[in-house]
Amino acid sequence: MKLKRTLTMALATSLLFVACNSAASPSPSSAPPSTPPASTAPASAGTSSAPASVAPSALPVDPAEAVIPNVEANAEITFWTFYLSPTFDQYIKDTIARFEGTYPGVKVTWADHQATFQDDLKNAFAAGNAPDVINLSVSEGWVSDYATKNLLLNLDDKVPQAVKDIYFPGLWKEQLVDGKNYQFPWYQGLNIELINKRLFEKAGLDPANFPKTIDGIPDLCKTLKEKASTVCDIRLTVNDLISQMVYEGNVKPISDDGKTFTFDSPEAVAWLQTYVDMVKAGTVDNTALTTTDDRTGLLLFSAGQAPFYATGPNLIRDVKANNAQLYADLATAPAPLGKSNVTGKGLMSISVKADTKFPNASMALAQFFTNPRSMVAFAKQVSIYPSSPEAFKDPFFSSAPAAIEDSARPLAGGIIATYADIVPTIPKKADVNQIVLKAIESALFGDNPVPAQQALTDAVKQANELIK
Amino acid sequence: MTRRFRATPYLFLFPAVALIGVFVVYPIVAVIYYSFTDYDIVRPPVWIGLGNYAKVFADKTFWLALTHSVIYLVVTPILITLSIGLAIVVNRKLRGITIYRALYFVPAVSGSIAIGLSWRFLFDRTGFINSILQSLGIIHEPIQWLATPSLVLPIAMLLTIWAGIGYYSVIFLAGLQNIPEELYDAARIDGCNDLQKHWHVSLPGLRPQIVFVGVISSLAALKVFDEIYVLTNKTGGILDSGVTMVFYLWRQAFQLQHAGYAAAIAIVLLALTLVFSMVNVRLLERQDADR
Repeated sequence: MKLKRTLTMALATSLLFVACNSAASPSPSSAPPSTPPASTAPASAGTSSAPASVAPSALPVDPAEAVIPNVEANAEITFWTFYLSPTFDQYIKDTIARFEGTYPGVKVTWADHQATFQDDLKNAFAAGNAPDVINLSVSEGWVSDYATKNLLLNLDDKVPQAVKDIYFPGLWKEQLVDGKNYQFPWYQGLNIELINKRLFEKAGLDPANFPKTIDGIPDLCKTLKEKASTVCDIRLTVNDLISQMVYEGNVKPISDDGKTFTFDSPEAVAWLQTYVDMVKAGTVDNTALTTTDDRTGLLLFSAGQAPFYATGPNLIRDVKANNAQLYADLATAPAPLGKSNVTGKGLMSISVKADTKFPNASMALAQFFTNPRSMVAFAKQVSIYPSSPEAFKDPFFSSAPAAIEDSARPLAGGIIATYADIVPTIPKKADVNQIVLKAIESALFGDNPVPAQQALTDAVKQANELIK
Repeated sequence: MTRRFRATPYLFLFPAVALIGVFVVYPIVAVIYYSFTDYDIVRPPVWIGLGNYAKVFADKTFWLALTHSVIYLVVTPILITLSIGLAIVVNRKLRGITIYRALYFVPAVSGSIAIGLSWRFLFDRTGFINSILQSLGIIHEPIQWLATPSLVLPIAMLLTIWAGIGYYSVIFLAGLQNIPEELYDAARIDGCNDLQKHWHVSLPGLRPQIVFVGVISSLAALKVFDEIYVLTNKTGGILDSGVTMVFYLWRQAFQLQHAGYAAAIAIVLLALTLVFSMVNVRLLERQDADR
């Protein structure tokens, strides 16, 4: 009996251990290939190690950082971040301590939420105890999701113009809702392709000739399949397909008055047809194509199974931690441009809840974390990039990169300056996205796929019904 | 003669009643209320009457999910058959049989998420099954198992069967060990072979367990969620090929934030499971009457 019990317990425990480790993997948000791919928060909780060298982040208090006026005396505010603990605990704590020194009397309570961030936040809003200051993803559309429900503070008429001017103009306006801004742009990512040189060489391809535009991807995948017997690890942004259509296909998704969807235009059909042709040719991994989790692709790439993977330089460390041999065989290339010719949009931001008791203190904290000084300190710890031109004047960004994950650093300021959100506000976005997803799946898969034009036209009809 | 009020019994009852009230009764009442509202979790619910129910019955995906849940019930007879077979196999006095029994029971004590993830890795494009098939020369290109709509539900059902066999076979094993050995001796004297012996003795003897397992496994099949959630990586499968009732309910509530609509789906699911519970009660009553 004892042996049986021990054996059972040992096996069960080991399985549970595996489960817990897997479940602890970040469940990152994602961005379309033509938008910033570094959609995963920079923390490496669960799957990989912390950055190789964590720079000290404690900076002395500088009164010049107090740029938000009329901060409420003795304000006590709460701050939630997404996937930053434990790797960046010290940085966050140091920055909060510096903030409290800069704005004496304000107290900050910080909490980091991870896989359940969205559920926790919705529940907190429902219960009336949402945090005052919230780290929200721009690339996943969280800012617009909450702002359209009137849960976030409109910053346009509350933040002094001089403070707005600190940020890249495209980032300050990166997720407007009805023309109003609800976020301070925080850390940014760069869009690059990680390339498995070994698979490219096997296919007789040169990583240096990676396509500059997405038009070149189908031929690249065809060659890789024929000569290296591998398929491409491309992902549709299933949580925000309209955004992907706009950046990649230059599709106009909705009429100017916002009352009629138009994503069945020739541009949209051409965009979808590209994917239909790749699926039909069997040159893409269908599971990775429609997964909600961009870690699926990263895991395949890290295992040496995928020839390339669109991501941010910050995730190269995952490859380094999981597959040292692949890290040695790694090349990078700028991500191909879509037909919109816009390189991408912002990644992370900090917002303030609409009904906070301490709006000025909350805005002060959001601004403080996103100011050039705080951002440079953060960028020295991990390959993320600041949201203000001033930060890029720091010698750190012009220094020669030592490792491949830093190779994009000297170019980052110029690239981020071009970021813009070119996607208009989409009413009932989650429902419309679900309709578009089903339409795309019906065109891509099944025994009798629906023609791309018909699939999108049917989807437009359904979506228009929703907003009647 | 007047009856004196005694507070003591009520005081003893209070903790249990309070717990049931808070964690069972209140949620059920709340779900019934929300099913008549437009509710997105973050903003207060708005009363819309029967709107959600009208939408449920006109919703093609709901019917697809219901169809999938009904198809999923196929796991029940397969589970019963295989579990009885396994129970008969391990109901022998063989050397090391307790180790086998423990091993078969491992899936029952393992987390469903862990099992689901393991199976997802098995069926990945680069997973174990494709590797084996390729190395044997049976296939030349990996099969994209979980990206093939017609395979998602069968794979999930296979997982449920694999994970459930150990648990249910323990129930049948206990039943088998309660059948008097004399009945098998009598069957042998009457000329039964091994198969006939189990057909005429074991199966009638296991009738209470078969009814019990049939009911609980069919209820579990109707409420399947974990397998679909993990195997399809929260998507429900391409073209909703793996979407079941509970998964659809979850998607509506937590992905699309239609908590009111999800509540209406939950009430419909509750009605279905009530039907199964009533069947359960009837079967048990008939069984008692037969004794």
